[in-house]
Amino acid sequence: MTSAGRRVFVVEDEALVLINLEDILEQLGWNVAAQAMRLSEAEQLATSVEAIDVAILDVNLGGARVFPVAQILRERGVPILFATGYGRDGLPPEWDDHAVIVKPYSQTEVEQALDRLLGASV
Amino acid sequence: MTELDFARIFQALPSPFMILDRELCYVAANPAYEAVVGTPFAQLQGQNLFSLFPNEGEAGVRLRQSFERVLATGEPDTLAYINYPITEADGTVTNRYWTAVHVPLTGPDGTVQHVMQNTVDVTELVRMREATTLPYGSISAATRLIERTRETEASSAEFRRLFQQAPAFVAVLSGPNHVFTFTSDSYTKLIGGRDVIGQTVAQALPEVIDQGFIEVLDKVYREGHVHAAEGARVMLENEPGRPAEETFLDFSYNPIRDGAGNITGVFVQGMDRTESVRAVRRQRLMIDELNHRVKNTLATVQSIASQTLRNTSDFAQARRALEARIMALSNAHTMLSDRHWRDAEVGNLVHQELSAFGDEQVDYGGPTLMVNAKTTVALALVLHEMAANAARHGALSVPEGNLSVKWRRDGEGQLVVDWVERNGPTPTEPVRQGFGARLLRMVVTGELGGGLDLNYDQDGLRAQVLIPAAAYAEQEARFD
Repeated sequence: MTSAGRRVFVVEDEALVLINLEDILEQLGWNVAAQAMRLSEAEQLATSVEAIDVAILDVNLGGARVFPVAQILRERGVPILFATGYGRDGLPPEWDDHAVIVKPYSQTEVEQALDRLLGASV
Repeated sequence: MTELDFARIFQALPSPFMILDRELCYVAANPAYEAVVGTPFAQLQGQNLFSLFPNEGEAGVRLRQSFERVLATGEPDTLAYINYPITEADGTVTNRYWTAVHVPLTGPDGTVQHVMQNTVDVTELVRMREATTLPYGSISAATRLIERTRETEASSAEFRRLFQQAPAFVAVLSGPNHVFTFTSDSYTKLIGGRDVIGQTVAQALPEVIDQGFIEVLDKVYREGHVHAAEGARVMLENEPGRPAEETFLDFSYNPIRDGAGNITGVFVQGMDRTESVRAVRRQRLMIDELNHRVKNTLATVQSIASQTLRNTSDFAQARRALEARIMALSNAHTMLSDRHWRDAEVGNLVHQELSAFGDEQVDYGGPTLMVNAKTTVALALVLHEMAANAARHGALSVPEGNLSVKWRRDGEGQLVVDWVERNGPTPTEPVRQGFGARLLRMVVTGELGGGLDLNYDQDGLRAQVLIPAAAYAEQEARFD
């Protein structure tokens, strides 16, 4: 599957982790359409940014949970990949059938998770 | 039909019987009774029982109370076990044990006029109990029955006391509407000290109506099965006048049956598990939080490593840079750890990065200002990148260069850090585009939602970092 030019929306509250994720996505040929580090900003961008192919969401944003953002994206039909240090157990029942990558993650893990997610959503 | 002579039957009964009037004076006694007390009826007649056989001890008091109960209530009364010494005809006193049944005899107007007493001598039983070598089976069935009654009565008061003070909670509900007839101290405490005796569960504990417990009680009462629950969540008003609080209970509802097997009530027992459920939850949260922090820290270190090693050709330099970055992160963690991961002082963070340089080159200062954990880590990384950059490419890379770092809180409560490099080499393109600059922008404007003003002047970097109060002063939601 080619990811060239496809648009990803990233929410991650740790600057260093975000920098790393940006680099990983760039290496994989993705275009980071928008990124947010705080909940309010993420909610606003989740509503306004157009043509998002996939979203990668950090679950814990400085104590707040990312689920209001996930809700907006789900309503828009955007496939979601959660990234969390808690693993799948950190997801409430409503979301635990969604794709998850556990921090720290490698470039290969991100690539495979996105492939699975987008392969499955077609 | 032959008419029965009740007086003759009374005389013939093998068990001791006697009848007292309302003043507790003898009006009748059968030969079996005469034999037991060793006194012919002629000497008993008209005499007060307690004048004839004085007993100021506990047994005398119990006996008198029992007679008084019968006279007052018109209900029979049983003393399952009473110690009452008897003076024999030869003058010797023997300590004997009795079971006494007191039955009211009513007159034509329906009031109690006499009390009839039937006693069974259970001294044999007591002696046999003392002779522990004797097998229990040698005691007659009748004696065994009495023994059981005796134990029931003696233990009933004891049991009540035990239930009353039991650490587990106990309540007895009576009838189809579940009327409280008994609550232990711990049960009373559980429901906020409310006096509920005589009230239905619905009246006494209105907050449980919508929680389905009355339906469960109805079912237990109707169908006779036992309902048991572990760690059940119940909202209970466990402090007077306060809103209902989340309580976790292990409990069971057991049907109470009468002798005929009919259900007459529900026995409620259980343990308040709230504290242990909370402790387990807290522990779970702490482990999750620790795991989350470790994973995030590893992700941070992973990012530092990959950024440092990216596009590098000088591995010795990359290794030093990597070590220094990880040390900066580690120092920030140490500072936070010293203060229970709550906050750290800006001055300490600055000192950490700049103390290695001489006073003639570096000048820094500002008020005592605390920043939260997130800002501490972010600021430590930012200050490290700026200091490392100054040392490698900026004002601190040449002997004549110098650096001034001043921080303050402005009128809006923002933390302002002014970083001014002078007399250094002119900044080059990689410095503007490198990891340090990228991290700085990402941390300050992204992570902390603050402002960043970077000016690459002729003689060095001039930067102003603004961090809003909301970002550095607020404590993150903690477990507990």
